[in-house]
Amino acid sequence: MTAASEPPLLLGCESCGLVSPAVVLDDPTLVQECPRCGHVLAATKPHALQRTWAFVGAAAVLYIPANALPVMVTTQALQRDEHTLLGGIHELWLDGSWGLSIIVFVASIAVPVLKIAVLGLLAWTVRHKPHWRRLERARLYRLVETVGHWSMLDVYVVVLLAATVRFGALASASPGPGLISFAAVVVLTMLATWSFDPRLIWRDVPDGRTV
Amino acid sequence: MRLEGSLIVCEECGLAHRWHPPGHGAVARCTRCDAVLDRSHRLSIDGILALTVAAAAIYLVAVNTPLLTLTLRGPAEQASLIDAIRYAWTDGEPIIAVVAGITALLAPAAFVALRLYVLFPLSVGFKAPGFAWCVRMLHQAERWSMVEVFTVGVLLSLVRLAGLAHASPGPGLFALGALTVLFASIQSAGLKRLWWQVQ
Repeated sequence: MTAASEPPLLLGCESCGLVSPAVVLDDPTLVQECPRCGHVLAATKPHALQRTWAFVGAAAVLYIPANALPVMVTTQALQRDEHTLLGGIHELWLDGSWGLSIIVFVASIAVPVLKIAVLGLLAWTVRHKPHWRRLERARLYRLVETVGHWSMLDVYVVVLLAATVRFGALASASPGPGLISFAAVVVLTMLATWSFDPRLIWRDVPDGRTV
Repeated sequence: MRLEGSLIVCEECGLAHRWHPPGHGAVARCTRCDAVLDRSHRLSIDGILALTVAAAAIYLVAVNTPLLTLTLRGPAEQASLIDAIRYAWTDGEPIIAVVAGITALLAPAAFVALRLYVLFPLSVGFKAPGFAWCVRMLHQAERWSMVEVFTVGVLLSLVRLAGLAHASPGPGLFALGALTVLFASIQSAGLKRLWWQVQ
């Protein structure tokens, strides 16, 4: 692969990959479309930073009830127990399932916190530190994009436990109110990841080849 | 087919490159941001179609057969993927049911169904009506499909239940495992490659 050095701004279609030269549009309500597949072509996603901040903010707020409220309620021999995210990890640790508790800790605690922090950092640096460590920021974005959906693990586990532990008063499990907040945090951080545009990291690069 | 020397733009930083077919097992990366531009791929359209047909059959098994069976002094409970989502809905957590339903049930279904619809005509040499829309929807289906996470979720539940009662894996779990592998190999071909077959 060699870098092309044509002066006009080239846009690649996200859907089909066709490369087209950017057209200067007089009317800001118009959008350029890919001539092959009709997908919208833009140098950057519209309102990328505002959307990212909105989703990150909402996710950060909902992260509090997600941790404070029980994600699962179980009854065993007439005894009712409420399990929070951290409590469940602690129980696994005490049971001796260290490997499992580490997996759940990474998926449910580390990944959401990492995503909220990294997306906040990326959105902030675009405005305030545009020249700071571009390559590392691009790699951070890729990391967040790759690991993001693994946080859904705990939601699935509770859904599966609630569907199989159905022995009435003897033993039962059901989702708690914290699980809704947690699922919302996972979905919101995924939306935040996709609304951020990594091309913003490379805005105003001295060689002037793009954006 | 894609022409050697044609342009390819990095999705993550917008830098344009000249495309050369990557060698066997090679990955082409962006010279500026190190993102993957293209990777070598051996499967033909017919090969991907065959994998997708297999995925469709395995999807039906994965969704309809029990994922795990739990026995507690007599009564046994078992749940398939559809059961699990239905229980979440009836137990008063419709939001959870919708999230799990989209990511574990509907997105994987769209992943398989749209590919079949697009690939069958392509393999005999014509473009299905609504091809462009289908490819765009496939991008969305790939984003929201979380079969691999759900599979690990079933394994994790199995281990957690083992302390409470006698828990055993069902055929659905093995089907989910196979589906995870098939999805990964189908996905590695990349959606943009579908357009290379269209003239």
